[in-house]
Amino acid sequence: MTKKDVLLSIKDLDVQYKTEDGVVHAANGISLDLYEGETLGLVGETGAGKTTVALSVLKLIPDPPGKIVAGEITYKGRDIVNMPESEMRKIRGDEISMIFQDPMTALNPIIPVGEQIAEAVRFHSDVSRQEAQQKAMQTLELVGIPAERYDEYPHQFSGGMKQRVVIAIALCCNPHLLIADEPTTALDVTIQAQILEMMNELKSEMNTSLIMITHDLGIVAHMCDRVAVVYAGQVVEIGTTRQIFKNTAHPYTVGLFDSLPHLDDADDTELDERRLKPIPGLMPDPANLPHGCKFAPRCPYKTDVCENPVELKELEDGHMVRCILMDKQPGGEG
Amino acid sequence: MLLEVRNLKKYFSTPGGDLHAVDGVSFGIEEGHTLGVVGESGCGKSTLGRVILHLLDQTDGQIFFEGRDITHVNKRELKELQKKMQIIFQDPFSSLNPRMTVAQTIREPLLITKMYPKDQIDKEVLRMMDTVGLARRLANSYPHELDGGRRQRIGVARALVLNPKFIVCDEPVSALDVSIQAQIINLLLDLQKERGLTYIFITHDLSVVKYLSHDILVMYLGQMVEKSPARDIFRHPLHPYTKALLSAVPIPDVDAKLNRILLKGELTSPINPKPGCRFAQRCIYAKDKCSQVNPELEEILPGHTVACHYAGEINGL
Repeated sequence: MTKKDVLLSIKDLDVQYKTEDGVVHAANGISLDLYEGETLGLVGETGAGKTTVALSVLKLIPDPPGKIVAGEITYKGRDIVNMPESEMRKIRGDEISMIFQDPMTALNPIIPVGEQIAEAVRFHSDVSRQEAQQKAMQTLELVGIPAERYDEYPHQFSGGMKQRVVIAIALCCNPHLLIADEPTTALDVTIQAQILEMMNELKSEMNTSLIMITHDLGIVAHMCDRVAVVYAGQVVEIGTTRQIFKNTAHPYTVGLFDSLPHLDDADDTELDERRLKPIPGLMPDPANLPHGCKFAPRCPYKTDVCENPVELKELEDGHMVRCILMDKQPGGEG
Repeated sequence: MLLEVRNLKKYFSTPGGDLHAVDGVSFGIEEGHTLGVVGESGCGKSTLGRVILHLLDQTDGQIFFEGRDITHVNKRELKELQKKMQIIFQDPFSSLNPRMTVAQTIREPLLITKMYPKDQIDKEVLRMMDTVGLARRLANSYPHELDGGRRQRIGVARALVLNPKFIVCDEPVSALDVSIQAQIINLLLDLQKERGLTYIFITHDLSVVKYLSHDILVMYLGQMVEKSPARDIFRHPLHPYTKALLSAVPIPDVDAKLNRILLKGELTSPINPKPGCRFAQRCIYAKDKCSQVNPELEEILPGHTVACHYAGEINGL
C-alpha cells in the first residue's frame, strides 16, 4: 500500500463518562491515522471503545455524562474537538457520515424512507424540494432499492433493505469519510455478503474513506486495508490487514484469533477432541482499569514489568504493538 | 435413535393466511450426537426446536423420543418429558427473570419437578454451579450484576439441573463476544462428553455449527433443503442455497479466496407459499419446473439428502 495523505488523525483521545459507579474511561489515549481512500477496520470486544471513537469523530458523545477530556481529532487539517457546533453540523452527515449498527432503530418509523434521505440532502445543500427528492431517488437506486419505494415506510422493508436505506442516508451527500458501526451485524450472512459487496463498490466509485467497526475478523479480512485492534479504550495493535493476520503480535490479538472456531479445524480433529482456546477471564471494568497494561490480568505472558504503562512500539514498517514482550515473543501464531 | 421427527409441520395463522414456519421436516438424532440446524432468520429453525419440546403445538407430523411417540402428551406426561428435554435460549439477557438470583433460577426446575428431597436441593444447585463454572459466591447475585458469559452459564445450568438427555440450544452463543463464545462452546462440548448429551444446535453461524455438529440440517423458509454429516456438507454442498450460504461466510484469512455466490432478490413470503421450490426466485440454476413442482428430499450420496430437482445435474452426480 502506498502511503497517501492523512484524512483523519486522532491523537491521544481520552473520553470519559461520569456515572454513579465512578468515572468510566471509554477511550484511554487512542491514536490512529486514516489515509485518503482506505478502509480501516476497528476491531475489539463489546465495551472496548470502538463506538466511542466513532462518536467522538462526529462529536456525538452524549455530554453529559460523556466528555472528550483530552486529545486531538483533526479532519483535513481542521480541529474537530474545539469546532463550534454550528460548523460541526455542516460537516456531520455531509463530509463525514455514519452508518449505525441497528437498522431497526436507526430509521424514523413514521416518515417515508425517501423523505428521510431527502431531508439530509436538503439540510446540506441549497436545493429545492424536488431536486432533493431526485437525489434521494438516485441514492435509493444506487443502494439497490427501486425508486418507486420512496414513499414506503420502514416497516414495509426487510432488515437488509432497511440497512440499505440507512446506507443511502449516509451516502446521499457523497461523504468523504464514512464510519460504519457494525453495519451488518444484525443481518443474515447472504444479505451481509450483498451489503458488503455494495459498500465496496460504492467506496471505489466515490473514493470514500471508510472506518469499519466490527468484531468479525472475517469481514476485516475481506474489507479492510489496515486494522486497529482496540482493547479497554486503547489501540493495542495496528497495522496492515496482512501484518495483523500473518504476523499477529499482541497477546490479545492472538487470543482473539485463537477463540475463533476455524472452518478447517473441524476437518482435522474428531469432535470429541475439539476444544477452542478462549481468552481466560473478562475485560476489566472500565471504571477501574489496571494502571499498567490493560490486558495483563488475562495475559499468559504477564510479568512484573506489565504493571507499568506500555507505549505503542513499531514492530515492522507501519505495524505498531502495545506490548512489553513484543521483542521476545515469537510472531505468527503465538 | 434418541429423537426422531417425521414430516413435522407448524403453521401460524396470520391475517394474510397460514405462515408455514416449519413445513415437512424429518430427521433423526443418535444418542450423544449433535444435529446442527442452520438457516437465516425466519427460516423456522427456532420454531422447529420449540415444537419438538412442546413449547409450541405442532400442526402435523410426528415426534418420537426414546422410541415412543410423544406427538400428543397430556400434562403429566409432558412434565416427565421436560425432565429429559430442555432448552438453552439465545439471549441471556431476556431469558432470565431479573428478579430471581442465580441460585433461585437454577433451583426453580427442581422445585417444580420435586426430583430431590427439599434438603438436597441447595446442594444440587451448588453442584450445578460448579459444573458450569459459576463461582459459588455468585449464588445470590442477580442477572444484571453479571456479564453475558456468566448469564449464559446460568441458562446452561438451568437446562442441565434436571439431568436431561436432550437439549435444544437455540443460538446460545450468538449474543456473546468471540472470546466468551469460545468458553461456552467448550463448556457445551465438555458436558456432552461427560454426560452423553444429545443436542440440537440452532445457529446462523456456520463456523460454530461445523465445529460442534455431527450432522447438519439446512433450512430455507420452513423446509429442509439439505442434510448430511457435517464434513460432507462443507466439502460438497449440493443444494444451491447451501452453496450460496457457505460462500457468504467471511473467512478470517487474508489469503482466503473469495468465491461469493451473491444471491439476488429477497426472501419469498412464507405466508401461503406457492407450490414449487421456495428458493427458486433467488436461485441461479432455477428452471420452469422449479416454480411448479416442490422438490422432494432425495438421498443423492450416502447419508446426504437434498431437496433440489437438479442437484444431480448441478453437482455432476
